[in-house]
Amino acid sequence: MQRTEQEPVVAPKVSERATERAAVGVPQRVLGQVHAFLVLLTERPVSLYAAAVLRIGYGLLYLVFLLREFPHRDEMWGPGSPWTPTLARQLFDQSGWASILTLSDSRVYFEICYAVALVTCALFLLGWRTRAMSVLFAVVVVSFHARALFMADGGDNLMVLMAVYLVFTACGRRWSLDARRARLQAPAGETSDLRGGDLRHHLGDARIVLTTVLHNCGMFVIAAQVCFLYGCAGLYKVQGPKWGDGTALHYVLNIDLFRPWPELSQLVAGQHLLIAVVGYLTVLVQVAFPFVLFGRIKYPVLILLLGMHVNIAVLMGLPLFSGAMIVADAAFLPDRFYRSLGRLWRRTFQRTGGVGAKAPVGTAPAAVPPQPSAE
Amino acid sequence: MALCLAVTLVHVLLVFLYVAPPNAISKAYSHQVNAWVRPVFEQNWRLFAPNPQSVNRQISARVKQTAPDGTAQVSGWIDLTAADDSAVKHNVFPSHTAQNMLRQAWNSYLKTHGSNNKPRSERALMIEKYLRNIAAERVAAQHGGAFDSIQLRVISRPIAAPGAAAESRPAAATPRAETRYLPWWKVASHAAN
Repeated sequence: MQRTEQEPVVAPKVSERATERAAVGVPQRVLGQVHAFLVLLTERPVSLYAAAVLRIGYGLLYLVFLLREFPHRDEMWGPGSPWTPTLARQLFDQSGWASILTLSDSRVYFEICYAVALVTCALFLLGWRTRAMSVLFAVVVVSFHARALFMADGGDNLMVLMAVYLVFTACGRRWSLDARRARLQAPAGETSDLRGGDLRHHLGDARIVLTTVLHNCGMFVIAAQVCFLYGCAGLYKVQGPKWGDGTALHYVLNIDLFRPWPELSQLVAGQHLLIAVVGYLTVLVQVAFPFVLFGRIKYPVLILLLGMHVNIAVLMGLPLFSGAMIVADAAFLPDRFYRSLGRLWRRTFQRTGGVGAKAPVGTAPAAVPPQPSAE
Repeated sequence: MALCLAVTLVHVLLVFLYVAPPNAISKAYSHQVNAWVRPVFEQNWRLFAPNPQSVNRQISARVKQTAPDGTAQVSGWIDLTAADDSAVKHNVFPSHTAQNMLRQAWNSYLKTHGSNNKPRSERALMIEKYLRNIAAERVAAQHGGAFDSIQLRVISRPIAAPGAAAESRPAAATPRAETRYLPWWKVASHAAN
């Protein structure tokens, strides 16, 4: 997804080829570009920071979700749910879903699963043995989602997709306990030294190429998935007369279950002009999303989307849904942005003399109070 | 590597066909598309589209206890939606059990049953059980007495159009509100607690 970020790296190669082109002709040039693409695909894992943000973001969101529903855990996923284990198993037979939660109807088994899920989310978010944890995390998210299929909204749906896609990415290379361990073990170089016999060396190389290709493909799928999400959300809205006449948000703001602050919703719904403008802007931004990603204009669009999701979180009482969308958007920010964020973080916490923790989700550094120095 | 690339492209293509409106290609390959995408990559991004929901639904339940001599005692209507609404009100982070559980169960019921109350598929029967269980458990938690059957009533109140709504109270009985009664359903006897 961060193709644009990688272009400077590849660019010299491409321009070299371009000068060759005059001599060797078009087929050679195409070959050159294919070669450059293959080098990128197999040797340069793109957007490692963005992958880390996705890992931290979704790990944290799912952890918060599980903790939020702690009082309702039996009702949602447990043996005491109105969607009984029998019904769930029947649905799995029909639909192909599966869940570790329906393997036993015992309450104790459920509590153990729930505890394991909490620990998995926490370790995944911290990036401890990330690849193995990412598989476990995907199993947890799919299991809990499948068990409560009729309670899910778009945010849950997105988290399932991302949890599965993240398995293929190298999301533990940055801002993780794994990265910290690698740094401590091999202070000299960034990559760990795998020298051994010749065969081992080759296997190591093959493994690096494989993980890089998988990572790049995974990140591409994640980017495409988010584009489909917005494109679809936008284009289906275009077909609706209420989005067409600019009154759609009026109805959205009047749905009782998504109106935690009725007075506030009413106040906003009263602003007809504002409602129409924001409604149009929503559709426009969503439809435009896949097309703006390749230029600088993506930044204002991402800021608009952030504003939109913060509003949804507050006005509609959907913090989890909004959080899932914001994390997805954050995947489109360049590594250069995250690196400078990291530097900023290190500077601030070196000044305050904080503990050696790693940076939290990169989206809101200002919102994290410098706790150690607060007293 | 070629395999990775191929799977990636095929996946993206199939997901695209899945989320796109039905077209010649997705109809021709619907079997393959569904086989690949379902269940894990299932998705639906018609968020408030093409039109946002324009009714508020109020779901209530009442219960019946038939005595051994055949006389039936019917309770008053218990408003289940009001409980959800109040759980959402002034809550920064409402639970899925308030926002989604009853709402989605009812939406699924509408989808599987249509306008009459006859379950026409196995799925419809499952949803019916689900809805019944939700209602029975909530009523049992609120209502003291024992009961052996339950009935649901769903009132759909249209949200007034923007201009007109400004003055009139939105929650007040709007003339076009529709009421639907579901048949009495037997429940596994809920004892008095």
